[in-house]
Amino acid sequence: MDTKKFEELLLTVQKPGRYSGGEIGSVLKDKAKVDVRFAFCFPDTYEIGMSHLGMKILYSQFNSRDDIWCERVFAPWTDFEKVMRDNNIPLFAIESRDSIKDFDFIGFTLQYELSYSNVLNMLDLAGVPLKSADRKDLSPLVVAGGPCVCNAEPLADFIDLFFVGEGEEVDLEVIDLYKKYKAENRTKAEFLAAAAQIEGVYVPSLYEVKYNSDGTVKEYTPLENAPKTVSKRIIKDLNNSHYPEQFVVPYIDIVHDRAVQELYRGCIRGCRFCQAGFIYRPVREKSMETNNRQAKALCDSTGYDELSLSSLSTSDYRELEPLLNNMLDWSEKDNVSLALPSLRIDNFSKELLDKISHVRKSGLTFAPEAGTQRLRDVINKNITEEEIIKTCRTAFEGGYTAVKLYFMLGLPTETDEDLKGIAELGQRIVNEYYKTDTRPKGKSVSVSISVSTFVPKPFTPFEFEPQITKDEILRKQEYLRSQITTKKISLSWHDSSTSFLEGVFARGDRRLGRVLEAALEKGCRFDGWDECFQFDKWLEAFSDCGIEPSFYANRQRSYEETNPWDMLDYGVDKQFLICQNKLAHKGLTTPNCREKCAGCGANKYGEGVCFEKR
Amino acid sequence: MKNVRIFYTKKGRMKFVSHLDMNRFMSRMIKKTDIPIWHTEGFHPHPYIAFALPLSLGFESEYEILDIRLTDDSYPLEKIVEELNSVFPEYVRAFSVAEPITKVGKIGFADFTVTFSDNGELNDSLKAFLNSTEIIVEKKTKKGKINEIDLAPKIKSYTITDDGDTTLKITLPAGSEDNLNPELLIKAFFERCATIYSSYQITRTMIYDSQMNKFV
Repeated sequence: MDTKKFEELLLTVQKPGRYSGGEIGSVLKDKAKVDVRFAFCFPDTYEIGMSHLGMKILYSQFNSRDDIWCERVFAPWTDFEKVMRDNNIPLFAIESRDSIKDFDFIGFTLQYELSYSNVLNMLDLAGVPLKSADRKDLSPLVVAGGPCVCNAEPLADFIDLFFVGEGEEVDLEVIDLYKKYKAENRTKAEFLAAAAQIEGVYVPSLYEVKYNSDGTVKEYTPLENAPKTVSKRIIKDLNNSHYPEQFVVPYIDIVHDRAVQELYRGCIRGCRFCQAGFIYRPVREKSMETNNRQAKALCDSTGYDELSLSSLSTSDYRELEPLLNNMLDWSEKDNVSLALPSLRIDNFSKELLDKISHVRKSGLTFAPEAGTQRLRDVINKNITEEEIIKTCRTAFEGGYTAVKLYFMLGLPTETDEDLKGIAELGQRIVNEYYKTDTRPKGKSVSVSISVSTFVPKPFTPFEFEPQITKDEILRKQEYLRSQITTKKISLSWHDSSTSFLEGVFARGDRRLGRVLEAALEKGCRFDGWDECFQFDKWLEAFSDCGIEPSFYANRQRSYEETNPWDMLDYGVDKQFLICQNKLAHKGLTTPNCREKCAGCGANKYGEGVCFEKR
Repeated sequence: MKNVRIFYTKKGRMKFVSHLDMNRFMSRMIKKTDIPIWHTEGFHPHPYIAFALPLSLGFESEYEILDIRLTDDSYPLEKIVEELNSVFPEYVRAFSVAEPITKVGKIGFADFTVTFSDNGELNDSLKAFLNSTEIIVEKKTKKGKINEIDLAPKIKSYTITDDGDTTLKITLPAGSEDNLNPELLIKAFFERCATIYSSYQITRTMIYDSQMNKFV
């Protein structure tokens, strides 16, 4: 690329720092001295992608090998996309500024269904044929990983190979196989057939899908000896798994601009709406020593003054308090503040509050998820109203005046009573503030209620449930709004159309690939961004392809139906999900993994919480 | 407690890092060293740093200035250069550290070099443009009003050389009193007099006080 010309063009767009590279911690190698070039593509903006921990782990791990050069690629914002297209600049990797078309791997991480249009757009910008079948050569191989792989069927036509589960081991096994096949001049078909034999690799072209006359999946047939079921991979021992000692530290402001320590993987809770709570089973903890050591090294190497202790439910980490004590030993001296996202209401102590507020006092966020006890039991969110109130009181006594609460709207069995319960709970919290004698004097309370729309996801007990229709979402949002009568409570909600589209793709099948292509042609991209989302174009795309989107989002599915994702095994048995679904409809809860094993099936990995001493 | 002034260059990929982002960048870099920097007191203590003069996005610079405050007066100044260069990316180099002499408020002028990629074709038209008795441009004020200003009297001095490509060296007012961004001048040139369009790179090469003494 002509550097002068390129840099001049960069100055014509917003935030050129998104594309200019050169960050501390970014890795430059001599391309003549590596065997495999891997373009790690995040199908969203730099600011979102650079905040993502998974990318940091794999970037660091791949680059720790001399024979691999992994570089970062993000979706260019619409202004720069236009400049690129006008000037024939193909999609490039940030580090080398080389076109990713010539790389060995183009790897996407799939975090969110509404980024699928960006995946296609990035392939198009790279000048690579969209469809796997149209890419005849062994390279570039287009691969993908991440949570959405648990049903990536809408992308089946475009992706050569999916990584199922955690990537640290399987990614490298695939790269090694590729190296061998490349050296032997083997074909892409030969490579894919061999790769499909690796555990955790799903090659969609090796599965033939047949449909029933009602549109549901009849069966899928593996070809070329591909396994009938692909099992996800997990890292059994997180203490000895790769964790970065250095992050790429951006110059421009990004969404989460801080050091991140991953305390553990998985979640003991089993909230029935939560996909992460099921697909990352079983819970595996890092030791306190590992966490403390890795976190300190990261803060030292990056110069960050904020450290986030990350996990699906941070207060469930068994050694949290001793860990915090150890960390405070050095973090206070180094002026590093600790942030604890994902705290649960029921085990949030005064001591914990003191430790985090010791350094920095920000707002507190909790997730009751539903407004009544009945509905919280349905979703297995095992917290009571008393616990919520008690926690808020603790926070108010500790000097907090703002509380943010997350809820979902459109949960299975939800009635208007449950929505009213959200408003009432908000009011009780406001009242509690004024009952707290030790509240900060002369300050008003602010309760922010954020309501997202429930989207049923694969591999959860609600994978069978219909999503409520767009009209019903709008009605419920309006009803909830009418129930809130004080200005001390602010209410925000998600756009109903985006939730609907997310619902369609979350449980979609391969036939949606055509819709994605049609939507791309109509200019759809950055669908997760309000300023870019064009719902009417999506509806046109569905209609042009003769596909009824509500078939995927709003239909009740029977327990017997073959799901588009049934060839994948995430360690949780379908029978368990059915059983959990039945319990939900009876309003019965299930204890968390540490209290009592619910028999989900994840103990087959022989590790983690299933084998903890109790 | 002692104030020290760090002199550094900023080039290459770093030219896309804005003034605001430089603030965060420098704090992080200093944090990685053992330089005993003074932190502000208050609810959110942060390292005290201050830039002398902002640099526009896209400009390179051979003479950037950052003031910091040390808690340990005996910390050797030359070690600051070493420490910083060990953590800086290749695009930023500290080249000197000293106790500040000039006050930041006294900044009066700055030198810029503008390098075109024109094979010398712009040489004559640029000369003619800069020789104009007046160069009226429209400039938006902060309140959104459009003012007409004449750039010609603001040009302190300049030379144009031609060794293949045209290079302009120009001294312009800088600082809080009066300031002229060379970009404004170059844009006006391309809109009015230029015979062809050429890409160009602007580099700030020196900062002076109002008496044209080097800013040190």
